[in-house]
Amino acid sequence: MDFISTHLLTSILFFPVLAALAILFFPKEQLRLIRWTALIASLVPFVLSLMLWGRFDASAAGFQSVEQYPWYDAIHSSFHVGVDGLSLTMVMLTTLLTPLAILASFGVTDRVKAYMILFLLLETGMLGVFMAVDLLIFFVFWEVGLVPMYFLINQWGSANRNYASLKFMIYTMGGSLGLLLAIQMLGVTFQTYDLVALYERWNAFNPATFLGMPIETVKTIAFWAFVIAFAIKVPVWPFHTWLPDAHTEAPTAGSMLLAGVLLKLGAYGFLRLVLPLYPAQAAQYAGWLAFLAVMAIIFGALGAYGQNDFKRLVAYSSVNHMGFVLLGVAAAAKVAGTADATIALNGAVFQMFNHGLSAAGMFFLVGVIYERAHTRDLDKLGGLFPIVPVYGGILLFTSMASLGLPGMSGFVSEFLVVRGAWASMPVFAALAMLGLLMTGAYILKAIKKVLHGPLNEHWAQGEHKLTDISAREVMVIAPLMALTLILGIWPAWLLDVVNKAMSMLF
Amino acid sequence: MATETLIWLLPLPPLLAFFLIVLFTNKSKTLSHSLAIGAALLSFLGSMLVFARALATPEFGREVFASSINWIPTGDTFLKIGVLIDPLSAIVLFFVAITVLMIFIYSVGYHNYGQPAGDHDRAGLQPHGATVTDESGHKRMVLSVEPMYSRFFAFIGLFAFGMYTLVVSDSLLTLFVGWEIMGLCSYLLIGFWYGKPSARAAAIKAFMTTRVGDVFMLLGIAFLYSATGTLTYREIFTQQTLQALASTPTGIFGLSAAGLIALLLFIGTVGKSAQWPLHIWLPDAMEGPTPVSAMIHAATMVSAGVYTVIRMFPLLTADFTGHGLTATMSVIAFIGTFTAIFAATIALAQRDIKKVLAYSTISQLGFMLAAIGMGAYIAAVFHLVTHAFFKALLFLGSGSVIHGMEHGVFHTGNHHLDPQDMFNMGGLKNKMPITFWTFLIGGFSLAGFPLLTAGFWSKDEILADAFAHGHWAILITLAIAALMTAFYTMRQITLTFLGEPRTKEAEHAQETPWTMTLPLAALAVFAVGFGWLGIPEHFPGLGGLLPNWIHEFVGGTLAERPEVLAFSWIPLLTSLVVALGGLLLGWAVYKNVEAGQPDPLEKPLGFLYPFLQNKWYFDEFYQYFVVQPVIWFSEVFSSQWLDKLVIDGALHFIGRSALAIGDVFRNKFDKPVINEFIGDGTATVFQKAGHELRLLQTGRIQNYMISAVALMIVLGAILIYVLA
Amino acid sequence: MVPLSAYLFLSAVLFSLGLYGALARKNAIAILLGVELMLNAVNINLVSFWRYGETAQMAGQVFAVIVFAVAAAEVAVGLALIINIYRRRNNINADEIDLMKW
Repeated sequence: MDFISTHLLTSILFFPVLAALAILFFPKEQLRLIRWTALIASLVPFVLSLMLWGRFDASAAGFQSVEQYPWYDAIHSSFHVGVDGLSLTMVMLTTLLTPLAILASFGVTDRVKAYMILFLLLETGMLGVFMAVDLLIFFVFWEVGLVPMYFLINQWGSANRNYASLKFMIYTMGGSLGLLLAIQMLGVTFQTYDLVALYERWNAFNPATFLGMPIETVKTIAFWAFVIAFAIKVPVWPFHTWLPDAHTEAPTAGSMLLAGVLLKLGAYGFLRLVLPLYPAQAAQYAGWLAFLAVMAIIFGALGAYGQNDFKRLVAYSSVNHMGFVLLGVAAAAKVAGTADATIALNGAVFQMFNHGLSAAGMFFLVGVIYERAHTRDLDKLGGLFPIVPVYGGILLFTSMASLGLPGMSGFVSEFLVVRGAWASMPVFAALAMLGLLMTGAYILKAIKKVLHGPLNEHWAQGEHKLTDISAREVMVIAPLMALTLILGIWPAWLLDVVNKAMSMLF
Repeated sequence: MATETLIWLLPLPPLLAFFLIVLFTNKSKTLSHSLAIGAALLSFLGSMLVFARALATPEFGREVFASSINWIPTGDTFLKIGVLIDPLSAIVLFFVAITVLMIFIYSVGYHNYGQPAGDHDRAGLQPHGATVTDESGHKRMVLSVEPMYSRFFAFIGLFAFGMYTLVVSDSLLTLFVGWEIMGLCSYLLIGFWYGKPSARAAAIKAFMTTRVGDVFMLLGIAFLYSATGTLTYREIFTQQTLQALASTPTGIFGLSAAGLIALLLFIGTVGKSAQWPLHIWLPDAMEGPTPVSAMIHAATMVSAGVYTVIRMFPLLTADFTGHGLTATMSVIAFIGTFTAIFAATIALAQRDIKKVLAYSTISQLGFMLAAIGMGAYIAAVFHLVTHAFFKALLFLGSGSVIHGMEHGVFHTGNHHLDPQDMFNMGGLKNKMPITFWTFLIGGFSLAGFPLLTAGFWSKDEILADAFAHGHWAILITLAIAALMTAFYTMRQITLTFLGEPRTKEAEHAQETPWTMTLPLAALAVFAVGFGWLGIPEHFPGLGGLLPNWIHEFVGGTLAERPEVLAFSWIPLLTSLVVALGGLLLGWAVYKNVEAGQPDPLEKPLGFLYPFLQNKWYFDEFYQYFVVQPVIWFSEVFSSQWLDKLVIDGALHFIGRSALAIGDVFRNKFDKPVINEFIGDGTATVFQKAGHELRLLQTGRIQNYMISAVALMIVLGAILIYVLA
Repeated sequence: MVPLSAYLFLSAVLFSLGLYGALARKNAIAILLGVELMLNAVNINLVSFWRYGETAQMAGQVFAVIVFAVAAAEVAVGLALIINIYRRRNNINADEIDLMKW
């Protein structure tokens, strides 16, 4: 117990790896054993992160529960992890979604052992990014998270999985090249990769020329190197096209985590690295960021409306929703330090959390219907409400959460972003409304094409008769629904932590 | 219980009922409707208690009931939410509570509670009737119970929650929450029979059209919030804040911040209250069950739109000096006035009993907004309340008529007959007396039948205001609209109830059960009596008999009480003439319509008639110029061209370029230079050399020895030579 | 006293005979004998240089003894090989033992 409380973060971080190692030695025919071990093993980090939440002091500045071990002394990188209000929120989201994703994949029968091991490794990869206080560690986990996802898509995906997984992998890795270079530059210049030190030194670093260029130019180039890496991950228009492909091909639980957590890595990068390291550049290019964000919002929504594949539709909706995160970031960058900026950032972080809930829920529900009907073609579904009434009700609820209906958490965050953005960039805020309008259109299109309409005889009887959502599946979605509602009605308990972190960070 | 606590609790019972029904009692119809009605009753009682306490509070405009809590942390401050009951919300709460309760009760009868389950009914479609066998062995068709009975009560419970939230909230944010929840419910309820493609389309149309307004409203809220740092009415409507807003220029159309915010919020109202040009969803919303129409059109949702504008009145008039309307007010007045007459013309040519009422609602809401636009605060509130009563009454009455007609349809078995087409009715007066008399009261109130009805007093007040402030254009337009209103109302009453039955079905129509007629009777009382609370002080004969309570009470909401208008005969006479004239004309034209005869208006109106019947072709216009382009834009431009062609094209181009570069290196450098020249080349040279040299390898030991000796001799010679 | 050159002459004659025998004879045993002759010529050289040089140093005699030993071993191995070849091919003609050619 004592060990855990002094090594809380590393326990959370590496428990999944240990569990994965243990599963490695299980006989591969013992499906039940493997599944339950994976589920329980992923619940442990969740419980531990609840402990972390419990002992977190929101009003204290800086990183908490810090652990630091020597790692790569020769280049001055240490294994340094810690959490603040921002990363704590994301850690909670990750540890919450992973067990749900694993529970959701109890239906998987193909190479269960490898599948579960990959999921647990993925969890560690994602958690590491959120916990890292060292740039090199950050980058290492950033790349570590890619590998399990690549294999999950490539091995358990549907028809076009090779193309999708390759696109996902190459695109993200391509984006991180610039990031790695920029990180190396920082590390070499300051002889440290430690974030806390870099925050101060890099901003105070103002020689007239550096590397033979004016320092402004260097900073701008490094800024864009960071931005592009994270923008691909978010993804921001026009870097978004890998997302629908990856999502459509990924297995259900993979999509849940991809949308729920992996996309947040990019947004987290903006908040953790871009804004603190490049405040001046961020302010200077805030307009461009906001433009990209608004394009993501509008074209994400339009793209979603244009799809005829249920999963692609939901995938595009992620582009739309994550656009709001970037809009909040851009607005905050422009007027950093003001109350408006704090509101925008609150909205952005809260939107990250909410999108994690609603997108994971939506992808799960798509998976539920796909598992039964073996099609995601919206033209082939329709009229399912009388056949699967419970599923229908849940889908309606989750869709509305995704739509940002007031009373659900998505509304609060979108409102805060729009409110924060209005003060500094009203035109973009107004344009974002166009996207919000189309959000309604594509959500209703999905409901119309799946649930409503004349009873679909094909699915109502005979061999194609659809069964309603099962108790296990309800168990997966229920926590998400409950949280969405609770956060929509009383967001203060979470927003308070975020708010304090944002006020102190920027 | 403290009044504030009570107000906090008001919206909760229906919400609770919603969750209980959805989660637990959805299998039991009785439990579900008991829960819903019980919840509505609780909220009703609470509302009446709050209302009574409000009445008992002297100077209530200043001593309002309010309480708030911190909701969201925003930096160092908090966004607060809370409840507020001031005279305006008290009176709205009053009519909302009554109509909601009545509609809940009515729904029990409307959905045929107690009737057998239908033969072929299934979820998502209207009940089609059940076959029963009586004692003598005769089989006959009777109405069957709605298959999704419990779900209906859950939805209207949620709807009621939305409306109560909207009314009791003290800030625009919670108002918006209630507003959107109602939007969702209207979507769910209009699409209640989702199995019908038309209902499904209507639901989406309603949601999307109102959402157009909503996003503007959200912008307005964001603007207001960032400009003032608060969304609470009482903090916004202070002299200081309003003046600051009024004096901040925005650079958009020369509007002040106050004007622009009000305009943005007003666009929300245009959507929600179905004003031109966002009116198109409301007539289609008739696809929903009739209680829903009443909920949406009368008691709650569309009133909410007007309520919001009335709520924002101080902001709207922040830069109003009293002379000449501000730009925002003119826009509101124009849209209101235009909608009033525009919708009235369409109502003239409709055949569906509910569609007439739908357009009349749009038109009446136009009246209210015109009043607000002119600055006639009290007249607008007054008309809002009276309209809620008589329009709820009319909608419920029309539902009752349709129900009665469906009886007839089951009797004759002719299922192709449209039970909503007024030209199939006639003579229902004797078959459905309670429905007839209550409908008549509602209709006359709508038409503004002089002195007796509530509609007369409120509409008269609007005209009087227009006259008093010299808005002639508005006055004349509204007067014409009022004439048309009286005309189409009488047309409806005459076609439906008077004369002889035009079909067999109408002959066999039947009065509806008490659960439906009781709400009608209750609402009829208010449709008449409520008007008497607002008789102008200086009205000849009647003025002063009853105090002008509306003016006193509602006027207290504003910082400055509106002045009492001087009496003038001109607007009064106008009201009298248009109301009576319209009614008479309507009766005269339609009293002798025979079965199968076309609408008597069809000939005289000529090409205008189809134009009106097709709603000025607005649906088609939007379809071709808005909906189709947007669909094209998203399906083709965005998805196919932009994403697939341009962006993915660029990606694939990069990918292929990388491949091509790799190919070039492989084929032009790696393969020829490295592999063939350096790699294979070296090997070849050695291979060839070895091939030639292997002849030396004779395998004979003596040959080797000879060469060794020879080599030694040569080396020795060289060595000696070098040493020497 | 016999001069050193006489010993060297004898040694050279012996070496040349051995070399001729090793190069010219076909019989493998004769070749082996030639090699022995050459080794012994070398021995004569070594011993005589010792005798006429620094007699205190034993290097010349030691080398000669090592050469004996090596020669004996060589003859043993060589004869064993030749006998083996003879058993397989019934022939010890060096010209025809050319298995190691290309």
